[in-house]
Amino acid sequence: MRAVITGITGQDGSYLTDLLLAKGYEVHGIVRRSSTLQRPRLDQQFHDESIYGKRLFLHYSDLTDTTSLRRILHRIHPDEFYHLAGQSHVGLSFEIPESTCELTAMGTLRILEILRDLSPSPRFLHASSREIFGTPTCSPQNEETPVNPNSPYGAAKAFANQLVKIYRDSMGLFGCNAICYNHESPRRAENFVTRKITIAAARIKLGLQKELVLGNIDSARDWGSAPEFVEAMWRMLQQPAPKDYILATGTTHTVSEFMEYAFQHVGLDWKSYYRHDPRFQRPIEPQNLCGNAAKALEDLGWKHKTSLRELAAMMVDHDLERLKHHS
Amino acid sequence: MGKSALITGITGQDGSYLAELLLEKGYRVHGLVRRSSSFSTGRIDHLYKDIHDNPGLLLHYGDLTDGQALTNLVMSLEPDEIYNLGAQSHVRVSFDQPVYTLMTDGVGALNVLEAARILNQKKKVRVYQASSSEMYGAVLETPQTESTPFNPQSPYACAKVYAFFQTINYRRSYGLFGCNGILFNHESPRRGETFVTRKITRAATRIKLGLQKKLFLGNLDAKRDWGYAKDYVEAMWLMLQHNEPDDFVIATGKTYSIRDFLDLVFSKLELDWQKYVEIDPRYLRPAEVDLLLGDPSKANRVLGWSSKTSVEQLASIMVDHDLELAKREEHNQSFQS
Repeated sequence: MRAVITGITGQDGSYLTDLLLAKGYEVHGIVRRSSTLQRPRLDQQFHDESIYGKRLFLHYSDLTDTTSLRRILHRIHPDEFYHLAGQSHVGLSFEIPESTCELTAMGTLRILEILRDLSPSPRFLHASSREIFGTPTCSPQNEETPVNPNSPYGAAKAFANQLVKIYRDSMGLFGCNAICYNHESPRRAENFVTRKITIAAARIKLGLQKELVLGNIDSARDWGSAPEFVEAMWRMLQQPAPKDYILATGTTHTVSEFMEYAFQHVGLDWKSYYRHDPRFQRPIEPQNLCGNAAKALEDLGWKHKTSLRELAAMMVDHDLERLKHHS
Repeated sequence: MGKSALITGITGQDGSYLAELLLEKGYRVHGLVRRSSSFSTGRIDHLYKDIHDNPGLLLHYGDLTDGQALTNLVMSLEPDEIYNLGAQSHVRVSFDQPVYTLMTDGVGALNVLEAARILNQKKKVRVYQASSSEMYGAVLETPQTESTPFNPQSPYACAKVYAFFQTINYRRSYGLFGCNGILFNHESPRRGETFVTRKITRAATRIKLGLQKKLFLGNLDAKRDWGYAKDYVEAMWLMLQHNEPDDFVIATGKTYSIRDFLDLVFSKLELDWQKYVEIDPRYLRPAEVDLLLGDPSKANRVLGWSSKTSVEQLASIMVDHDLELAKREEHNQSFQS
């Protein structure tokens, strides 16, 4: 089996690569060209001669670059296409709304257009997001909840989400939206709040940092584990028919609760180190974000397994190891 | 000094050396960085201080293809100088991504000029455009000077030619202080690892420590004029301090083949490169530039700039650095087993 992954250098992309390689797939990743060759999440596979160049291949392209995307896809003819790439930081989308739209919304349209002309078309997985619901009136949300985004990121994802449906219904593409709630891991980028917290806890424990500065700590989220979500994405493409699925844990926790789990794990009291900075506050804060993943359980046999406390502990342990190893 | 500068491409080789230079001179330095969920600031991490500690270096998210965000940024920062170093900078890759390369290296430069033109109406700004010796392509005269006609041989070179002429156009039409630095190849320990010189020093040092067996290259007979990036960013700054805007060739005035560079690097490590190098046609260019040799006499005369580092010294600097890197990798490997 052959798969293409956009966003392969990101958190989810790297876990999906691990999963597909373990299942014996040939994996092709799309990467942006940069003069810094930093792809830390893929380092191991990239430098493994038995994998890179034999079962894992990387190709230069960009979500805005239709001609090279088309050429790559016509050359590879994948069975499955996992579209995980985009400008993935919600807070930042308020500062760079145009690029966010160009990459996340238009980028998805470009890919759908190319896939439409491939014969046969690969099965297509789109990494959608609960941000498309904005501030929903009912909680928890399911696949029928109305789309009502309140961030430029959410608006771009909503556009992409709706297009996938249109290509599925009117053009017969096997396309699925994985409507993901927050999902974290030790590979999460450092400017997402959970990782920012676990790194701070580890650094404060080792005396390398004095305080942790955050925005709104009463903000609540439904936080799951990235490797588990990626397993669900794969299962979605193995179904007999394409559908959209909510991927979530069904419980919410506040940022302050996460801080408590993380700091407690290293025997510290977060209140002694936390400081508030309005700079990190969002212009609009979404409320009531809690996902109902009953359909995923019924159709895919998928349910989340890792509690938030366990996730926090895993991430803190990883960051402590990394910091100790480097010093 | 109280001056401020905006650098696009600050995470790249030149951007990082230029940021260091300007910070030493007391500038407030702003950098434009593309957003990615992987960190890309490896070359400038040592310069970065937390925002609460009143740093001289500030980074901003943006993209050369996002003209609106760029203009907003320039208008809010009001820098005294803008250095447009950001680009899709790999010639071979440009054959696979020609449209993207034009949008970033060509139209991106235009976006920078436009933003500068708007700022210039309110407050004077000086702009440096990173032009390239690749524009000379299949060279029409040797050595190449500021008046040698261009003959680009790649989508990268074509995009850079576009940006070069737009810079001059903005100078003439709008009185913008814009300069083209026509830099010949410039290397360093921070050079990207897919550029041939660094590819060679990385491979040779890893081969020396038994971490790698072979080095695959393309055309070994291509000749280039290679300088040290750290010397070259000084020239960029000098151009913007001059009393009038102008274009300058920045080069060493000597040319060497890839074979020559292989000799220098492998002999320093007491190895015979012929035993380890194999040709892979994947690395050949669809259209090759056989020879580049620059004449920097205008820069010598007008700016008082000249290259200080010979290609032998350059190879030494890079080999020393990469040997350290390879030793660390060897240590890490034994640590994990």
